[in-house]
Amino acid sequence: MGRLITGLLLTLPLVDTRKTLAQDFSLHGREVEVHGFASQGFVYTSTNNWLTMNSNQGSGAFTDFAINVSTNVTDRLRVGAQFYDRNLGQLGQYHPILDWAVADYRFRSWLGIRGGKVKTTLGLYTDSQDLDFLRTFALLPQSVYPTDLRDATIAHLGGDVYGNFSLGKSLGQFNYTAYAGRSTDIKYSGSEYLAAAHQLIYSSYGGSIYGGDLRWDTPLKGLLVGASRFNEDLTGRGIFTGSIFPGVSSIPESDKSKPTWANQFYGKYGVGKFRVDSEYRRFVSIGRYEALGNLLIKDSSDVRGWYISGTYRVAKRLAVGSYYSRYSISNVSAGPEAALLPSQTDTNLPANHVYDKVITACVDLNKFWNVKVEGHFMNGYGVSTYPDGFYPQNNPHGFQPNTNALVLKTGFNF
Amino acid sequence: MRCFRTFLVAGGKLISILTLTASLSPAGDIKIVANSSVSADTISTSELRRVYLETKISRADGTHVEPVLENGGPAHHDFLQNYLGMSEDDLQTYYRTLLFTGKGSMPKKLGSDAEVVAYVARTRGAIGYVSSTANAEGVKTLAIADSSGA
Repeated sequence: MGRLITGLLLTLPLVDTRKTLAQDFSLHGREVEVHGFASQGFVYTSTNNWLTMNSNQGSGAFTDFAINVSTNVTDRLRVGAQFYDRNLGQLGQYHPILDWAVADYRFRSWLGIRGGKVKTTLGLYTDSQDLDFLRTFALLPQSVYPTDLRDATIAHLGGDVYGNFSLGKSLGQFNYTAYAGRSTDIKYSGSEYLAAAHQLIYSSYGGSIYGGDLRWDTPLKGLLVGASRFNEDLTGRGIFTGSIFPGVSSIPESDKSKPTWANQFYGKYGVGKFRVDSEYRRFVSIGRYEALGNLLIKDSSDVRGWYISGTYRVAKRLAVGSYYSRYSISNVSAGPEAALLPSQTDTNLPANHVYDKVITACVDLNKFWNVKVEGHFMNGYGVSTYPDGFYPQNNPHGFQPNTNALVLKTGFNF
Repeated sequence: MRCFRTFLVAGGKLISILTLTASLSPAGDIKIVANSSVSADTISTSELRRVYLETKISRADGTHVEPVLENGGPAHHDFLQNYLGMSEDDLQTYYRTLLFTGKGSMPKKLGSDAEVVAYVARTRGAIGYVSSTANAEGVKTLAIADSSGA
């Protein structure tokens, strides 16, 4: 599949890009839009393997693509759906998913509802994190948008209430979103992959989520600030294959994380050819793991991440950018099997943080096709008991404190 | 709540003063045209911006509004710079974010003033922009009012 995507990308120069690539057609008098995107990346790291790829030897297992169709049924009702597929090292594995499928009805500007499988509004880019063709960077700051945990927060089965209101010219405008629903199972995601390293094989993982977002499009042209709140109560069920009970090779396991929440604060500003973004996210998860009705572990994780990024368009087809991304995690475990997830609270240790300095350049070959070259200079590798880019399965000989990464990525959209 | 609003008003006014955003005065090289179903004869720049960012879908009286874009040209660039305060890249990124997240659609894009006028004339609620010298027969021209959009 990766070769297919690469082949498609290589044929793009032959496409007459003076014409729009989007496919629109009419159905019962309504215009139906079809759009899509695809990207292919390559990652080489100096030491640790990263994002479940064998990146130390160079890996091209970094592919994604999507296609969507949508139409306005009436002036106020819009429907659409998007399928998405990816392969990122050991994640995704080309299992297609229904990325979003919504019916959206707007009563007034200040009140709309959308239901179905809805992209979750959380910070600046949670809902659009796959759309790297819209950004200068090949990878968003992993402290706030870890691509290996993409599936954990990106969508919910449920509904949003949303709207926009203006309080007058001197106050700008506000956009609000409130949502509730269920998170979907996240097979082929970083959480499941890491759980497998600890001999826990999930058969299901999900639960209820709810939250909201309020963003202020300020009267200062180009400045937007906002805050998001995310809550979830997750339940996991699976098989634990670890040797806890003598003579028992595998036992049913269940775990419940309650409460799990995230607060995210963000701002972005653009003037001329310069853009700057900054976000802070704190994510707290408290989990209780049981097997055969017996408590195994009570685990509390406190993940804090922030970044500041800037981009500048040097020329019509060339943009450059840089960001500093800072991630730390502290983890406290208790219970009879707490040794399986040892507590780690000193975030100054490389084992409990990832600090990433990034530089990038993006060349727009044409309106629909770009190529990015990006360098990451990372210190730390996070804890091996929480998914944060570096996994013990891919680094069986242990972790090195520093990792440099070269990321090449090309993508097109229509 | 009262304190919050006072804070917002003060903050907003401070920012406005700092940036002179309030003095954003559209150039006279284009005119705003609308379908006859659009009830008002005036529109504010902030309301126009909300219409084009798809955050405003109806006017205060409930009538539906729909933005129409030109594919390029002097009127388009004038509109982006003086009314939306965005670059072409910024606007396309905004629309494509809506489109690819299922939270909005791409507005109608047309190739010339004449096409915009023709589309606006036959489409209920449509609002567009054309060069000030364009023939706007069949559509109404909205005056820019320096007030907030409701």
